[in-house]
Amino acid sequence: MRFCLFLGCNMPAIRPDVELAIRLSLQSLGVEILDIDGAACCPAYGTFPSVDEEASLAISAWNLANAEKKGADIVVQCGSCYSVLKIGRYKLIHGKLEEINKKYLSKVGLRYEGKTDVRHVLDVLHNVIGIGKIKSSLKYSLKGMKVLFQYPCHVLRPSKKVGFDDPENPVVFRNLLEALGAEVPRYSREMQCCGGAGGFAKHDKNANLEFLKKKLDAMKDEVDPDCIAVSCITCLMHMDNVQAEMRKLGMIDYQIPVFDFNQLLAICQGHDPNKVAKIATTPRDAVIRKIVGNKI
Amino acid sequence: MIEGRDPELIKEIIELGGHDLLKCYQCGTCIADCPTGLSETPLSAKRLIHIIKLGLREKLLEEETPWVCVTCGGCEERCPREAEPFEIVLAVRRWQCKEDDTYVPLVLGEIFSHGHTQNVLNPIRKELGLPEIRTVANNEEALRKFREMIKETNVYKKYSYIFREE
Repeated sequence: MRFCLFLGCNMPAIRPDVELAIRLSLQSLGVEILDIDGAACCPAYGTFPSVDEEASLAISAWNLANAEKKGADIVVQCGSCYSVLKIGRYKLIHGKLEEINKKYLSKVGLRYEGKTDVRHVLDVLHNVIGIGKIKSSLKYSLKGMKVLFQYPCHVLRPSKKVGFDDPENPVVFRNLLEALGAEVPRYSREMQCCGGAGGFAKHDKNANLEFLKKKLDAMKDEVDPDCIAVSCITCLMHMDNVQAEMRKLGMIDYQIPVFDFNQLLAICQGHDPNKVAKIATTPRDAVIRKIVGNKI
Repeated sequence: MIEGRDPELIKEIIELGGHDLLKCYQCGTCIADCPTGLSETPLSAKRLIHIIKLGLREKLLEEETPWVCVTCGGCEERCPREAEPFEIVLAVRRWQCKEDDTYVPLVLGEIFSHGHTQNVLNPIRKELGLPEIRTVANNEEALRKFREMIKETNVYKKYSYIFREE
């Protein structure tokens, strides 16, 4: 099983420990990870897609064509990279492909055939690798721990173009956390967006903090979880960093550690937590100690 | 033409990607679950569409709300008319960039220069034992071709002052 790992920008630049967790945990599951020579920004919604759709499709096609050269599908963790590339591919194969190939890619000796697809890492773990294989790769478990998921919005909606799960009652993330042994209690704001992407936080900081506070309060009051699991680099940075800001402002008096799912998986597989979960604003040591004390 | 109203505005937004704009019947489902609802200036696709249908160019130009969008796709999923409100929000951004250069995000220049919105050559990657990065940021030949391709786009031709080779 081979996949091209699409890095995007934030993961290698700000949270490379997540990149390591993805590489090691997928390799432990028998996936061969390929690097895309000459990959670039997806391009993110706030950049080219906000100015010119054709230029945006050309850059997405550039990335897809370079992955296609490796003869494998893309696996990606960042929600907006996934969305931009997946919807970009949808638009290309539903009409614009030849035009973009001719006007742009052919000028630099590239061509996208439309073969290479884009898959989110949750989709690959659940629907390609499978729960059974994941379970048998574990050395430690999340038994006795309550973990809440933060679904990446971009993998659910618009479901007709990007979906691999039910957009209103998704099951994939819950199944994956339960496979690691965690208890995943339900709570009222389970499906609320983190609010981290796009311009919301920049344009109206107060409303943005209030928005996430509603979700964190619901988590704390209704479940009091050991940690939050995300599978999008923006959810990770936002939910982790913003808690520190909120505590400073006196908006919250608790903290909930945040992990990327592949970080939890990699730790459970026995990879070094000091490497695969190195960077965090909200301390995660207590959770990590609990996991490595939970030998299977 | 009624004074201050331009019926051509609808066509312009449709051409820029808001293809299903005319399907909207102003029900407001797009606003119901929008994360920006808590803001004093929330994004309302419904309102933007209304402004477009009325042909109010100046009003649309001063709207900053399209840039508040978190791109969560909630409106796109739930619109009962499949009017694709998120695509309309992006189309409005494109229209604003066309009408007023100051809307064009400068980060485009960063992507042209280094291939990414951030500096992906983080030294911590080496410390962690990660392999050398192989994106355009670390591949001169690929970066040269990447820029060559971007130079073919209308964005580059129109806003060339944003893009630097450095």
